[in-house]
Amino acid sequence: MIRVLVVFVAVFLFYMEPVFGLLSPVSIGQEFYILVPRFLLIYLVFVAIYYNRKRAILFGVIFGLLYDVFFIDIIGLYTFIYPILIFTSVWVMRYIHLNVLTLSLLILLLLAGLESLLFVFNTIIGTTTLVFDEFLQLRLIPTMIANFVFVAVMGWFFKWLLVQRYEQKYHVNT
Amino acid sequence: MPSLFSAKRLILLLVGMIVLVVLISFTLRGRDNANPAESLIKDVVGFGQSLVAKPTHFVVERYKNVEDFLHTYEENERLKARIQDYAAVQAEVQQLQQENAELKELTEVQEDLSDYEPIRATVIARNPEQWDEKIILDRGKLHGVSANMAVMTAQGLIGKVTLVTNRTATVELVTTQNPNNRISAFVAEDETIFGLIEGYDEERRELILRRLDTNAKIEKGQKITTSGLGGIFPKGLYIGEVTEVTSDDHGLTKLAYVKPADDFLTLNQVMIAARTVPMVSGEDGTAEGEQAAEGEDSE
Repeated sequence: MIRVLVVFVAVFLFYMEPVFGLLSPVSIGQEFYILVPRFLLIYLVFVAIYYNRKRAILFGVIFGLLYDVFFIDIIGLYTFIYPILIFTSVWVMRYIHLNVLTLSLLILLLLAGLESLLFVFNTIIGTTTLVFDEFLQLRLIPTMIANFVFVAVMGWFFKWLLVQRYEQKYHVNT
Repeated sequence: MPSLFSAKRLILLLVGMIVLVVLISFTLRGRDNANPAESLIKDVVGFGQSLVAKPTHFVVERYKNVEDFLHTYEENERLKARIQDYAAVQAEVQQLQQENAELKELTEVQEDLSDYEPIRATVIARNPEQWDEKIILDRGKLHGVSANMAVMTAQGLIGKVTLVTNRTATVELVTTQNPNNRISAFVAEDETIFGLIEGYDEERRELILRRLDTNAKIEKGQKITTSGLGGIFPKGLYIGEVTEVTSDDHGLTKLAYVKPADDFLTLNQVMIAARTVPMVSGEDGTAEGEQAAEGEDSE
């Protein structure tokens, strides 16, 4: 049951991202703010930390590929980004005391880094003409807020779910 | 670090990276058609996506209804003011339509650039990453959709189909920064004033109409529609309204900012316009149909 749930949550989040995307950009007053949902990535990092690193990277490759084919049409971009970010977070967490709070902060930092890198990438290939200030104001900050809310709401549930699964699989009781 | 990068793993990582970089550079140059594996993935994911998206639209629609209800009074006042013109305009339209049909019969013109077959579609996803603005529709080849068809909402033109699979169609919105995305357009009131919609100003959130003749009498408030002369889109699809006219960088031609008809905030029901007059291939690089890579010609 829980085993299925772990995969189900990933699939569900994969499908929820574009639905959330339908609601963005959000207009407040004159400005339009773009919120980029990174729900699946957040979940995968939780999977890597609390459950199984290899499984998380496998999910990352599969969902990254689906994401690329379905949305981006640049195949390889997210197939690359997902595993790398999961890998990085696992590596950093070795040096940091693990709890939901530190992990959430780390994820948000990584997301900010990811968005900035994508901004550079898209500036190079010419899909955006925004300057950094506009990017910061219209994209980065709203995105961080949206994802922060998501982590704040769902973080504990993810942890609970994955720890359950971990205990079930390895027959340990902590 | 040593345990993290054993020799075997390092090689695997490097090989993986090379494969991915090759894949990225290969697919970065946009393609006209998806290969079978891609199509299959798109169809399967698209099916799941529509299962999730349709209930969401339903909920959003209900929410909107409530919102509409709250604005009823205001709207009623506005509409009352407009309804007086409406009857007169309708009579005129009917008369013109009839006249047009008669004239066509006289001159034996069968097809018109402005004729198109509408295909209704539901938006099932919007590129969550939102760097290049794409939406995905639940209609594909099986429903008669093909690449380069114009896509519009009740408000006006919003984009064109770039990739079709059997059951999905990917639409690139006009707001996408793609230097090879051009739409030939003219002023609805005066067809002699024409130009090309090229580029989008992200800060103003307005399209840029370039290559207007210096002597063209284009003014703020005029309505811009597609001309159908690019060979891809039908004629007469509403694009937007002119908000500002200036001269371009070199001062040789005029340039106008066009506010798109739709604000692209919530898109759920759209119409695909399949032009009845055969489309040109768009291979010569002048038509808006050219499937260009986002990577080419970056400024």
